[in-house]
Amino acid sequence: MSRGSGGGYDRHITIFSPEGRLYQVEYAFKAVKAAGITSIGVRGSDSVCVVTQKKVPDKLLDQSSVTHLFPITKYLGLLATGMTADARTLVQQARNEAAEFRHRYGYEMPVDSLARWIADKSQVYTQHAYMRPLGVVAMVLGIDEEKGPQLFKCDPAGHFFGHKATSVGGKEQEAINFLEKKMKNDPAFSFEETVQTAISALQSVLQEDFKASEIEVGVVRKEDRIFKVLTTEEIDEHLTAISERD
Amino acid sequence: MGDSQYSFSLTTFSPSGKLVQIEHALTAVGSGQTSLGIKAANGVVIATEKKLPSILVDETSVQKIQSLTPNIGVVYSIANLYSLCSGMGPDSRVLIRKSRKQAEQYYRLYKEPIPVTQLVRETATVMQEFTQSGGVRPFGVSLLVAGFDDKGPQLYQVDPSGSYFSWKASAMGKNVSNAKTFLEKRYTDDMELDDAVHTAILTLKEGFEGQISSKNIEIGVIGSDKIFKVLTPSEIDDYLQEVE
Repeated sequence: MSRGSGGGYDRHITIFSPEGRLYQVEYAFKAVKAAGITSIGVRGSDSVCVVTQKKVPDKLLDQSSVTHLFPITKYLGLLATGMTADARTLVQQARNEAAEFRHRYGYEMPVDSLARWIADKSQVYTQHAYMRPLGVVAMVLGIDEEKGPQLFKCDPAGHFFGHKATSVGGKEQEAINFLEKKMKNDPAFSFEETVQTAISALQSVLQEDFKASEIEVGVVRKEDRIFKVLTTEEIDEHLTAISERD
Repeated sequence: MGDSQYSFSLTTFSPSGKLVQIEHALTAVGSGQTSLGIKAANGVVIATEKKLPSILVDETSVQKIQSLTPNIGVVYSIANLYSLCSGMGPDSRVLIRKSRKQAEQYYRLYKEPIPVTQLVRETATVMQEFTQSGGVRPFGVSLLVAGFDDKGPQLYQVDPSGSYFSWKASAMGKNVSNAKTFLEKRYTDDMELDDAVHTAILTLKEGFEGQISSKNIEIGVIGSDKIFKVLTPSEIDDYLQEVE
């Protein structure tokens, strides 16, 4: 039934191909890109900002229910790019894990612990045949008590890294090139600069100016450490500031 | 382990008697960034390239060389981080976590730090189990374990198949054959730890693409004080200057 190699099963479940690759994991990455959305995250000196496109495919849909930005706890946010159903599962489990952590250890789960937990769970799916990898790349953001603003990216392969800035989705490579130029000299962005860098990066790679209702923005700031989703008015202020600057 | 539907092993014998999944796993290791280890007369050094996919990655969040116990350290070799993204770095996290737990359980039972050979053997057993159990694939990493216990300095390499050997000096990853040739020429049984660090750096330099610096390599050492430590970037810089 399973010959485990060259029987073509290396494309169906996560076992090694002859070149030493895991095709299912690679296909999971493709599923993330196929969702057709690009997201961007930027870490400043005292804040972190994530931005994603908000595409509502049908006018009859309730816009407020279409979201990729989820609070995990009061202080941790998660931006899930990729398959929506997989994203919701991940968010549900992450919320549970963060709450249990708080109960078990008596302090809030730090950003890197949550990112590591998500990544470890993703790794299990790449090694055990009974579950497929999730088609989601998660950007986790928060303010760490000791290390300050943190932005982590966790992918279906189980990798996770801290980032100064990053991007996921259909146009991620262009966005990363844009961000590399901006962050080359390790600038220390203020809150406004962080948000505007993130939004203008998205505008530049998608080559369009959006309305406030077409993007979602989530931030955490050092002063209160609370994860907030910006309202349409707040997004408008930043968009205006960007267009006036240019 | 796994669902009952997958109670058959995914790693099965081919008609020629080979375990092909393990060979594929070794291919994955062989395309990874170069890592190496050298056993000196009074210590062990392990070193690795640390090439990150983008300058946007925060390099302080990545540490390839980790300690398993206060006197044992490990480095792993994996496939290209970004282009293939075949999930091997994460495999190493699982092994490191299991090894640390086994070391702690040993200490709890015997009130003594676990000897290096025993920790290596238990880690290797875990890796072998994943080549035989149902519904799982082998680990896609090889480990270089460096430790110092009552038997002196030791260096072990563990493969995805679960087999392990003790080495005087070893390398793994992309540049393995050149690195091993280089090490064979330079290795002497009575090497001091400092010399070993210099040799390790020179070996890494051999196959290095680009400019070697304290930001794109990691070095871990353990000396006769039996404490494993990862060198700070400034300590690496000092060694790099000595090598120039």
